[in-house]
Amino acid sequence: MGSSSPRRGGRRPRLLILTPDFPPAPGGIQVVAHRLASGIDDAFETTVVAPASDGAARFDADSGVRTRRVRGGGALRGGRNARLNAVALARGLALRPQVTLSMHIVTSPAAAAIAGATGARTVQYFHAEEIGAKPRLAAFAAERASASIAVSEYTAGLVAATGARARAVHVIGNGTDIPGDPSPLDDVPPTILTVARIEERYKGHDTIVRALPLVLAKVPDAQWVVIGDGSLRPGLEALAASYGVTQAIRFLGAVSDEERNLWLRRARLLAMPSRLPAAGQAGEGFGIVYLEAGAYGKPVVAGNVGGALDAVRDGETGLLVDPTDPLLVAEAITRLLLGRELARALGEAGRSYALAHTWPHVVQRVQGVLLEQLDART
Amino acid sequence: MCGIAGSTRDPGAEDVRAMCATLRHRGPDDEGIHADARSGVSIGARRLAIMDIDGGHQPLSNEDGTVWAAFNGEIYNHRKLREDLRGRGHVFSTNGDTEVLVHLYEEYGEAMVHALEGMFAFALWDERARRLLLARDRFGEKPLFVHEQGGELLFASELSSLLQVRPQLRELDPAAIDAFFVFAYVPGPGTIVPGVRQLPPGHLLSWERDLGCSERSWWSPPRRTLQRRDSLGSIAAEARLLLEESVRTRLVADVPVGVFLSGGVDSTLVASVAAQESSTRLKTFTVGYDVGGVNETERARIVAERLQSEHHEVTLTQADVAERAPLVLSRMDQPLGDRAALPLHALSQFARPRVTVALGGEGADELFGGYPRYRWIERARRVQAALPRPALDSLGWALRRSAGWAPAARASRRLAPTPVLERNLDWVTSERRHRRAALYGPRLAQLDGARVLGDLAECAGDLDGGPAARWLMHLDQRHYLPDDVLVKTDRASMLVSLEIRTAFLHAGLAELAGSLDTSVHLAGAGKALVHEMLPPGLLPDRRGGSYRKTAFRVPAAEWLRGPLAPTLRRQLERGVLYEEGYFDRQAVERLVREHADARCDHSDQLWPLLALGLWADRFHGLELA
Repeated sequence: MGSSSPRRGGRRPRLLILTPDFPPAPGGIQVVAHRLASGIDDAFETTVVAPASDGAARFDADSGVRTRRVRGGGALRGGRNARLNAVALARGLALRPQVTLSMHIVTSPAAAAIAGATGARTVQYFHAEEIGAKPRLAAFAAERASASIAVSEYTAGLVAATGARARAVHVIGNGTDIPGDPSPLDDVPPTILTVARIEERYKGHDTIVRALPLVLAKVPDAQWVVIGDGSLRPGLEALAASYGVTQAIRFLGAVSDEERNLWLRRARLLAMPSRLPAAGQAGEGFGIVYLEAGAYGKPVVAGNVGGALDAVRDGETGLLVDPTDPLLVAEAITRLLLGRELARALGEAGRSYALAHTWPHVVQRVQGVLLEQLDART
Repeated sequence: MCGIAGSTRDPGAEDVRAMCATLRHRGPDDEGIHADARSGVSIGARRLAIMDIDGGHQPLSNEDGTVWAAFNGEIYNHRKLREDLRGRGHVFSTNGDTEVLVHLYEEYGEAMVHALEGMFAFALWDERARRLLLARDRFGEKPLFVHEQGGELLFASELSSLLQVRPQLRELDPAAIDAFFVFAYVPGPGTIVPGVRQLPPGHLLSWERDLGCSERSWWSPPRRTLQRRDSLGSIAAEARLLLEESVRTRLVADVPVGVFLSGGVDSTLVASVAAQESSTRLKTFTVGYDVGGVNETERARIVAERLQSEHHEVTLTQADVAERAPLVLSRMDQPLGDRAALPLHALSQFARPRVTVALGGEGADELFGGYPRYRWIERARRVQAALPRPALDSLGWALRRSAGWAPAARASRRLAPTPVLERNLDWVTSERRHRRAALYGPRLAQLDGARVLGDLAECAGDLDGGPAARWLMHLDQRHYLPDDVLVKTDRASMLVSLEIRTAFLHAGLAELAGSLDTSVHLAGAGKALVHEMLPPGLLPDRRGGSYRKTAFRVPAAEWLRGPLAPTLRRQLERGVLYEEGYFDRQAVERLVREHADARCDHSDQLWPLLALGLWADRFHGLELA
């Protein structure tokens, strides 16, 4: 569909990507934004507007993506986003893109202003958590966009629930990289791995702590390796102490990609039983790490709610359980720790699933949506 | 709600049968005993039928009769557990919650306690492993007393049951009486007699004949708190979800369920959630007084109207108090000087013909920072840290010069450089530890007065540099809550065979509360999260529109001058406390006289003495009332 896109004067059409989250800062949205920006560069002349962060200059020099970093504005509440939007608008007016890709609802005001001033089409990305946190802004973003991309059916449902009259909502899940060496490493002791920042309770770290005594009752030498850091970590460590399972947990904090990949090769399974948070919050939009585990041939244990329903195929690539029930989480983990054949079968299926959902696949689909906008524009 | 008992050296179950007989009030509906003659182990249970009324006989076993359970309490998530265990091939022969225990044990061994949401104390006898397992719930809602001697173990839901079969243990521990006078309750894990202890909350005890007993903690309240990034509103939304789950599961029973509504924020929140979750019209109950000038019944009535509940009120009259106090205070199993035990008993008795189960708001103050002292002690500490030493000394000197004026004396004490633990102790105990020298008789006078404080410090653990409130909340959760609040709740209701279920004592809710910085809890007038969870417009406004917490005041001072004055006099004339030389008769007489003249309010000392005296007389076989 996109191959017949118009190219004025032989030049590639201009795409402006606006995002509050971009590497080298860690996180799922950062990864999506970066993979799209670097992948779409073939079809579009891409410019990214993103906040400055530690190590950004070096990252940008290496990435090859044209990136305008926005500094300051952090002193006041909302100041960072206001400044990001102001710079994005100025950049949009100067660049006059054919399409603006707004990676988060907080950049939707700038995208809408650029559209109003230049006639650019806007494609709005939706993840999940931001919709619960700012439903009115989410509705604004959906209504003002020419097209929207939701990372899962769950997220599309959240957009619909805002009451917005959204045009053309496409569900495009997130993707994964193909690991250079996915061969498994020795997994003694049997290792449960979780990879997630410890900033949001809905990720379910606490449920794993509650499940751990039940897991240890059946697999006494099991260990839980926790990669990621965050403000909830001290509380999680205290919870582990109150359950008497500290000795079975290794909190590694934030680690390099290389070390994380080693743990993905070493672990028996990945567990992240994300749950739906309370009203006003949204939770897991997709869960890239589920696919990443699959890419390493590892089965996953996830919650049977939210975006995990799109990222994990229950009984095929992992086990989906009620993420609020420590007993069920413990059972699923134990089944995979003790049932090596089951774990291997789910892991293999997970790898096939991941290979069908790599970033190039995602880029191709997103690019299709963007090119549709070019067609519509002409 | 039941009572359990057992022994590792009772092949004919004679002791267990005798202990069960003393537990009849806890479980009037049924009795059962399982004796393993080969091992000598017997366990028994008295049952108050609330779940599976016809099929819930105890003790009961697994499919092949190798694991037996005697159980006191409620497992609120037992239906979910049952469904899961059935899926794994376990066969159930009853519909009650006790049977879940034996099958869970088969799956997980002693780690099975982690799967339980509820209040419980239970015994599991594993015939194959020849192992007896005792467990107590996270917060200490259900009691469990143990006596260990010569490698043998005896246990029961009540101390009185153990003493029934081991009369040689009937000896009061002077150190425990000292601790009782200071706290107005007997701090665990000790008891009022030297040879019996309690299994602490969140603990397991495992017994094998050749190995003896081993005990370990399986849960304790999280000790580290941190600042949340989330708004109060989003935390409250999360907490509300957990509370709704808690109330929903606690409403499940095969008998009528109601709510005890005091008109305060905690019980109002519980009642509002219960009204939302209940499929039938909610029954609410409240107690008031005919003396004392503090009556919450009107507030409760307004809340009940707004919730459209079927509301019932009972008045605890002075005439009723005269009869009820000796009856209740002497039968609390261990002495308890909590003056709210009396109204709670009256309320339970009044509600019992109408409901068998009632939801209560106990535990909210300890989990969510409801006591004003959490804020005031922290403030005092900050003032002390901020003021230069000379200024503090001068201020202290000036206040001491005006010590005749009560507010100045109070301010002087609060500004004194007293350690947080002692400051808190004096606050909650009305400084009773300082009155001991004047009131103790020869049996108590020789005690090491510092021991009480030492034991308390051990229970509190390390302050680790955090805010005082965090430490004090933890201390209250481990000390005051299990040994006073929950003892009162269990015993006062059990005396009339009613079960109280505590909606706030839910593991997930407690862990969420424990993960929050105390500043979150203490914002505004305190207990900010509970207020945030409450639907707007439900609680009547007070003092020009804003609700302020007032301590739940029971008119004990008036009762001690009025209907209980004769009881106090009889105590002084013939009571064990004075006859046996535990307390000095003249000194206490002086207190009683001053109190009777209304010159002073000595109810903070006289009420614990009355409660202890009535209990001790009955313990010694006297019924002076």
